[in-house]
Amino acid sequence: MKMDRKNIESKVREAFIKVLEHDDFTLTDETTAHDVDGWESITHMMIITEIEKSFNIKFKLISLMNMNNIGDLMQTIESEIL
Amino acid sequence: MKVIDKIIISFTNHKDRTALCINNEKYSYGELSQVISNIRNLIRENVSVGDKHIGLITNDDIETYASIFAIWLEGKAYIPITPSTPVERNSFILNEVQSSFIVSSSNIDSYDETFRVLRTSEVQDAEIDLQPIKFSENNLAYILFTSGSTGTPKGVPITFKNLDSLFYALDADTRHKVFHTDRCLQMFELNFDFSLVTFLYPLLYGACIYTIPKDQIKYFYIYKLILEEKLTYLVMVPSVIHYLCSYFSEIHESGVRYCCFGAAPLDVDIVLEWKKCVPNAKLYNSYGPTEYTVTTTYYSFDNNQTPKTRNGVVALGKVLKDVVAIVTDEYQNILKPGQEGELCLAGSQLTSGYWRNTKKNKESFFTKTYNGKEHLFYKTGDLCIRDEEEDILFIGRKDFQVKIRGYRVELSEIEFYAKEKLSKKNVIGLAIINDLGNTEIALVIESEAFDVSELTKYLKNKLPDYMIPTQYKFMKEFPLNSNGKIDRKVIKSIF
Repeated sequence: MKMDRKNIESKVREAFIKVLEHDDFTLTDETTAHDVDGWESITHMMIITEIEKSFNIKFKLISLMNMNNIGDLMQTIESEIL
Repeated sequence: MKVIDKIIISFTNHKDRTALCINNEKYSYGELSQVISNIRNLIRENVSVGDKHIGLITNDDIETYASIFAIWLEGKAYIPITPSTPVERNSFILNEVQSSFIVSSSNIDSYDETFRVLRTSEVQDAEIDLQPIKFSENNLAYILFTSGSTGTPKGVPITFKNLDSLFYALDADTRHKVFHTDRCLQMFELNFDFSLVTFLYPLLYGACIYTIPKDQIKYFYIYKLILEEKLTYLVMVPSVIHYLCSYFSEIHESGVRYCCFGAAPLDVDIVLEWKKCVPNAKLYNSYGPTEYTVTTTYYSFDNNQTPKTRNGVVALGKVLKDVVAIVTDEYQNILKPGQEGELCLAGSQLTSGYWRNTKKNKESFFTKTYNGKEHLFYKTGDLCIRDEEEDILFIGRKDFQVKIRGYRVELSEIEFYAKEKLSKKNVIGLAIINDLGNTEIALVIESEAFDVSELTKYLKNKLPDYMIPTQYKFMKEFPLNSNGKIDRKVIKSIF
């Protein structure tokens, strides 16, 4: 089943809310950790793990290391679930 | 040889080699020497000889590193203050050490009223001059502040003589030698004393250090550096490999020749897995309190042997040259090998005592004759045993002090400020291990649940970011143990 971008976005948002325990943020392609309260080293890995679980995928370390914003994250998810 | 002389020789001999790599920018020893000379000039023009303590805003740039050397060549001490820590706390620290000058590469308007800020990013080129002024080895090189239990941080002053002793001991142990061809990881904030080993030691031998930009996720950036810049010499906190462990199968870096851990207990299971990722690296675990100038012991992993452990935590190993270490009972009697007690340290790496804190000094230091000589000993607060082979094994902390991201944190200090805000409510700070195996701070409040955003805001204004709790829980009543004391163990079990 092919998932559209909107669906992916909402699942990603859910993962953020679950880990950060608040929904006081908007996620656009340009959003970085700097823009979201509570998104830092510790929670970053928890968010990544949550997203992996929710899409049933496993990121490659090489793509995680070059992930600088939500746009990069979305693109990596899309390439994994294709 | 003194550290200051080693600096001059290394910087002069390696003029054309790369000293620093910061955010993909590379700087040679020659360029670093130029910036040092410029900042030195700025200090000379503005600061009198008598002003010995200089605040330093710890940004991630060449000016910040150069400032440390410029301050030292003038025989002065740096007091690192991080830009992310509240101005109130930083100002308190600077006032404690009577520092009226701050050296900074960035704009810091909020300090202008109380301190004189010397901006290092817009200085004129001066003639290169690395000759130090004449000064005593008893001058301070730096003062670091660690978390204190009464709500005020404790200052640990370290002299040039302490630093000379550290590097003398490190040089005597050739296993840690850095070569000018090495590419070394510098992952630490400059207000953390481990940074002395990760930035200064490589620079004394003409190697290149790689820093982590502040906006990056550290553990991923470290892997990126190992992979793309082919780092050879790593000194890290264990949490880095805890974060990376689910991706170990993708890591195979045969170029890493040295990998040392420190600043927190090292789990044997994970480090043995990590060993396969860096098959050619010699692995070490290290230990040392800030009060004893960075490092005290090293444990070396032998390729074929199972490492020594206690409760799954790798041994701290043997002491460096000239370190006097004893394990004592609560009356400072020396215990036999294999007996559990508090590790106490004496020798020339030891600080002369906490900055203007007679009470704390009385609690933490004592004099004792050992091997026919009277020594000043520091009680580390770490429970250890020393085995028949002179290896020291870590058991646990004597008090409630914990380590978060390598920083020492007194939970009571967080409780202190939380109580201050929540008047009359009882709170307990706890260190908990999260799903990823890292330590987090949780705050349990004796109350009906309420919105903690005001409390968090208050704490953020009082404490550095690593001390802000990441989890909050509420209990209507705290459980008590048979002595009527709040039972932390029971409270901890709700996590």
